[in-house]
Amino acid sequence: HAAPAVAEPGKENKNVALFDHLYGHPRRTTVAGAGKDVHPAVLALGIQMRNYIVCGSSARCVAMLLVFKRVIESYTTPPRNSLPRHLTILLSSQIDYLVSCRPISISMGNAIRWLKVEISNVDVSTPESQAKSDLCDLIDTYVREKVTVADQVIANKANDKIEDGDVIMTFAKSSIVQQTLVEAFRRGKRFRVIVVDSRPLLEGKNLARALADLGLEVQYSLTHGISHVIRDTTKVFLGAHAMMSTGLYSRVGTALVAMSAKEANVPVIVCCESVKLTERVALDSFVHNEVAPAEELMIQGKTSSPLSNWVDVPNLQLLNLMYDLTPAEYINMVVTEYGIIPPSSVPVIIRLSTNT
Amino acid sequence: MPSSAGVLTPALTTFSRSVRNRGTPIESSIENLISLLKRRQIRDSKPCAMATAYLLRRVVETFKIADVSGLIERVHQVGERLLAAQPREMAIGNIVRRVLGVIREEAEEDRDGETSGYSDADTDSRPHSAGENGSRLPEAPGAVSRALLSSPLPRGASDQPSLEPHEDGALQRLPVLTAHASYASTNTGPVVTSMFSLLSHPRSNVALPTATPGSQSPGSHPPLSNTALANLTAAKDLRAEIVEGIQEILEELNQADDQIAGYCLEHIHSNEVILTHTSSITVQKFLLKAAAKRKFTVIHAETFPNDHESTHATVIGKAKGESDDELRPESFQKSLTAAGITVILIPDSAVFALMSRVNKVILDTHIVLANGGLVAAAGAKVVAKAASMHRTPVIVLSGVYKLSPVYPFDIDSLMENGDPAGVIGYGDGDMVNKVEFENPLFDHIPPELVDLYITNLGGHAPTYLYRIIADHYRAEDTELDKFNAYQ
Repeated sequence: HAAPAVAEPGKENKNVALFDHLYGHPRRTTVAGAGKDVHPAVLALGIQMRNYIVCGSSARCVAMLLVFKRVIESYTTPPRNSLPRHLTILLSSQIDYLVSCRPISISMGNAIRWLKVEISNVDVSTPESQAKSDLCDLIDTYVREKVTVADQVIANKANDKIEDGDVIMTFAKSSIVQQTLVEAFRRGKRFRVIVVDSRPLLEGKNLARALADLGLEVQYSLTHGISHVIRDTTKVFLGAHAMMSTGLYSRVGTALVAMSAKEANVPVIVCCESVKLTERVALDSFVHNEVAPAEELMIQGKTSSPLSNWVDVPNLQLLNLMYDLTPAEYINMVVTEYGIIPPSSVPVIIRLSTNT
Repeated sequence: MPSSAGVLTPALTTFSRSVRNRGTPIESSIENLISLLKRRQIRDSKPCAMATAYLLRRVVETFKIADVSGLIERVHQVGERLLAAQPREMAIGNIVRRVLGVIREEAEEDRDGETSGYSDADTDSRPHSAGENGSRLPEAPGAVSRALLSSPLPRGASDQPSLEPHEDGALQRLPVLTAHASYASTNTGPVVTSMFSLLSHPRSNVALPTATPGSQSPGSHPPLSNTALANLTAAKDLRAEIVEGIQEILEELNQADDQIAGYCLEHIHSNEVILTHTSSITVQKFLLKAAAKRKFTVIHAETFPNDHESTHATVIGKAKGESDDELRPESFQKSLTAAGITVILIPDSAVFALMSRVNKVILDTHIVLANGGLVAAAGAKVVAKAASMHRTPVIVLSGVYKLSPVYPFDIDSLMENGDPAGVIGYGDGDMVNKVEFENPLFDHIPPELVDLYITNLGGHAPTYLYRIIADHYRAEDTELDKFNAYQ
């Protein structure tokens, strides 16, 4: 065993064996080497997603659709080719590039599936300019219906669950939870918010800042404080990356919050647009997940972090998991734009939303 | 000295040096430790326990009155002051209780021993006690020599019976002498004498004729002072035995981690996945010892923000510590990765995601409570809860010195909040005025979340801890602040 280690210093496999299937190729760091037909806006978005500038399931989905609109706008069908056929191929190469920057979210997958169906539905006889503007309109409608309006509906529905004197805990940052809380505050409800956060992304800090700037009463803690702050909490509001009938797939750490809430008999409410519902089922956080680069676990702003040379330490592995699966038993209700449902009804909503 | 081994913060090293220094007045040592505790320069169970033991050893050594109840009271008062300085470091209270227990036990043994000795013949007890003393001397040289107050008396006892009382305040010593003398001469049954000595006011017997000559005119009448002399030796003998008892506590503190590690092979099997939390040396030693024989994987949660730096240093293989100039045994300890163990460092948030593949959770603790619950680093509660949700066994490693006889009626009083700078950096200073930040240092874990405790005595179910606690502490010392009720 010693011989190959000497022959290839630093080539030790640093992948955590349990997640070997999730590593794939390392994330793209530059636009160099991207396919030549990748649209510049897509190139930029890919890098933004990779660096978590565009982060969050909904935001990434919307940003992707808007960028695809630009792709469609600047698209011309090459000779001896039809729009439905060629545009689909072109989109696929855009998607491949985005995937190489960061694995796509469930909501992005759902939107892509929808868009491809719409493109393939375009009548070949339709003039190109007409087909393009139709598709752009469809995308606008989709974003408006599935995200913008849906968020408003969910924020309204979830608002009914917020009462004066509530102490609401949330984990990390979810745009829909933020919207719900802001809406409740706008309606003059008097409540307190506890934001629980975790390394390495510390997204909750942005939520806490945004809410505090509005004038809400905000408390901020990290995962180590969950068991303390849960005692004051009356309701837990969680965002979702994806919602399955077997549980909530969301930012890693969500399950700890939901578990603590369950133990403390605090209701757990998930706010989730139907675009995030998926028929995929998972029983653990291993089969489907996303492993982010381990380097992100370095403590930022420290010149001499002890972890800086972790790669040189044999047998040491760093695991930077992005999501975990919260079992459905910890979740009391899921607020969607179709109504308030238990997790077990997720497949029903999916059938409803795809049939209409 | 073996005491310099173990986890010593620089403050503790300095303190142990200063407390051992004969020139330091005891009161300044006490004040020194109180301020060190208040300033958190000595923190965590083990350093606190060691500092307390050092100090109490010195207190016993320098205690002027050779009277057991007075000594108990003195130790108790010092303990109360230490506890008041840092009530959440319950290891202090544990060591105070242990020392009180040692004093009580030695006093009782001593009494029993004497009465049995005297029941045959007065003179029999003196050679016996002197010999015993001599045999114990090498074990704790510094302590005993101080206890003897630089007097060669016990070894050459019959020749120089007199030096001692004058040098060190004969009148203060008097009570015990008289007490012993009185029951030696009356020679009633052992039960009666011990009760008598326990309850009688020490000063009440001062006027007894057998004792007064021995103390007031020392050296002049060897035959007369024979009994007094025997009791004198016995008193110093008692002190030496107490100091030795404290010495044993200190040795136990130093050896606890290694003894706990000795049980590792009974709990870790091949190819296991073990999850741990915080950078505990106890856990590291345990795992490292197992690594010599078994191959397994360790998942290490980084314990952000209160212990992540030392956790990172631990997994990288650098010694934990505040200053690099201190050379401590840990600096030379092999890291787990160097021992061929795969170590996976994860953020605390990933604990639940990984728990379904974890075979065992091994936790360190700050203190263990009488009901089998524990107080551990913040974040441990969710780890233990996630483990119990997945039916993963939770093992807690704890030296016996961390077992506290205190029952957790008021859990909040055991909790503590730390520096919020760990939660929010200076870069986000603008949020400080608007957002409330919480950085708890401890979590209370109820006993039902723990499957097994491994102490230096072996593995125990949480339900059995009360028994070990009963073995180590005297019931009368359990509530330190209620001591005055027994006066």
